[in-house]
Amino acid sequence: MLTIRDNLLETIRGGKPDRFVNQYEYLDIILEAPLKTSPKRGETITNEWGITFSWPQDQIGHFPVHDEEHRLLKDITKWREIVKAPSVQYPDERWAAAVNHAAAVDRRDKYVTVFFAPGIFEMCHHLMGMEDAMMSFYEEPECLHELIDYLVDYEIRYAKEIIPRLKPNALFHHDDWGGQIASFFSPEMFAEFFVAPYKKLYGFWKDNGIELIVHHSDSYAANLVPHMIDIGIDIWQGVMTTNNTPELIKQYGDRIAFMGDIDSGAVDTMDWKAEVIAEHVEKACTRCGSRAFIPCLTQGLGISSFPGVYDETSRAIERMSGRMFPRP
Amino acid sequence: MSNIAAVRQLVETGKTKLIAAATAEALKEGAAATEILEAMIDAMGVVGEKFSTGAIFVPEMLIAAKAMSKGVEVLKPHLAGKSATSLGTCVIGTVKGDLHDIGKNLVAMMLESAGFTVVDLGVDVPAEKFIAAIGDDVKLVACSGLLTTTMPAMRDTVAAIKSSAASHIKVLVGGAPVTSEFAREIGADGSAPDAGSAVVRAKELLKAA
Ligand code: B12
Repeated sequence: MLTIRDNLLETIRGGKPDRFVNQYEYLDIILEAPLKTSPKRGETITNEWGITFSWPQDQIGHFPVHDEEHRLLKDITKWREIVKAPSVQYPDERWAAAVNHAAAVDRRDKYVTVFFAPGIFEMCHHLMGMEDAMMSFYEEPECLHELIDYLVDYEIRYAKEIIPRLKPNALFHHDDWGGQIASFFSPEMFAEFFVAPYKKLYGFWKDNGIELIVHHSDSYAANLVPHMIDIGIDIWQGVMTTNNTPELIKQYGDRIAFMGDIDSGAVDTMDWKAEVIAEHVEKACTRCGSRAFIPCLTQGLGISSFPGVYDETSRAIERMSGRMFPRP
Repeated sequence: MSNIAAVRQLVETGKTKLIAAATAEALKEGAAATEILEAMIDAMGVVGEKFSTGAIFVPEMLIAAKAMSKGVEVLKPHLAGKSATSLGTCVIGTVKGDLHDIGKNLVAMMLESAGFTVVDLGVDVPAEKFIAAIGDDVKLVACSGLLTTTMPAMRDTVAAIKSSAASHIKVLVGGAPVTSEFAREIGADGSAPDAGSAVVRAKELLKAA
């Protein structure tokens, strides 16, 4: 049996995997690393950037608060006065848990993985709200470019802190670029605003020991795949079924791998059922195959909104491996 | 290009900084405010169609709607009392438990630019609040929901409206998880997959009424 790591490499490089890569198994994500504060259930907090986040008791997750009182950046032309990146210097104690976790990972089997979120576009809409962020593409493109450069600079400074400490070899990076049936912006606009910054960012991580860039966008983004390849993404995690994943694999599978095709929205429900999960997993595995494909929930971490769904999905994938891969 | 055609073009391409002057110019040249407004509504119709077919994206739609509202600002003093173009009032909101509003806002903008008067209740709107907002001039209630976990709230909202004194009011539902089967199952009068087709559906529903 191949190691988890070798099985992954065979999968994404068009070789001979001996089973499906099972969801996030190849990534050991070091979530203990200091990055930003998030609210716990029932809390409202203002984070290091000055953005207010709330997680009401009865909701399944937290979100930025964008009413008039709380929206941080109301006029993008003033971003220099308002947006102040937090320090990336943390005392050694804050790193200790992350360092210990990284040291305990068997690197022959798994990748020591940095988690980075929010991504560049997400940060823009967390700062100013989705609508203003989107309109600034047209109304204040210069300011938006500058703000994006500032965010890139922050991430690189953060990378310079975390890389020597954890010596990570993979990056799991969020940035949602679309909704369920369309990308948020046209490929042309994506090219104008995001390609160069992401090339710089992902290039920096890769020049410093990162072997694998896994980018999360649980959305439609099939039209952005050529750009994803260009900016150096190795694996697009979160690919929803609306993208027609088999077609993407056929067209681009020699240059990028796809992780997802099991829509969280469809199976990760309060009254989830093992049969429904099995059905979705079977569909994903049979239509996508194992070349350049990793069956996975579209959710942006190895968890589910409702307890049990993630593990049940893993079990269903294991069964599909048993059915679809000949036993030696 | 006639001045009206210019205004139409500026709305379609979302030229928020040029539209006010162009609208004023068209008025000065003698075009009727209602006529200019019709041209703007047509332009937004085109925008909606392009969005439905995937030719344009959310920013283009937002910016077109913003251009239109800036143009309408200029027209307003000349439109007073001429409500000939109003298709009636639509109450819209995102259902209880759900805070996603980008899709809902796009639908609201498109309904407004098509000639509806829109009352936007915001997000996390309980059924009672929808019902309380249904005044005499309301012709349509539109409910949005993006979370699979708030689909039951959407079901409850539709049920509450349909069993209230306002049961005759047409209810339109939408949001990424909403299919036409689901809409039918929960007793809504219609649904639409995007903001462009939401307007088409809304008009159909009112025509059928
Ligand atoms: C942007 C976004 C956010 C933003 C929302 C900003 C805002 N102001 O709305 C923020 C960051 C705040 C956010 C928060 C959360 N989100 Co969110 N979010 C998204 C995302 C990426 C895009 C949604 C979107 O704006 N699409 C673009 C618009 C234009 O499309 P649309 O909304 O579908 O609307 C169109 C149509 O549906 C239709 N339509 C919409 N409404 C109506 C109404 C009528 C009447 C009609 C006719 C048509 C219609 O027309 C619209 C325009 O064409 C989706 C991912 C996805 N793949 O969809 C997740 C997603 C919806 N979010 C999700 C989740 C879980 C959350 C959170 C719980 C946070 C978290 N920890 O993940 C919180 C929820 C808080 C809450 N209670 O609501 C999940 C939902 C999963 C599920 N179980 O259903 C998704 C699917 C992501 C995922 N896979 O995890 N989110």
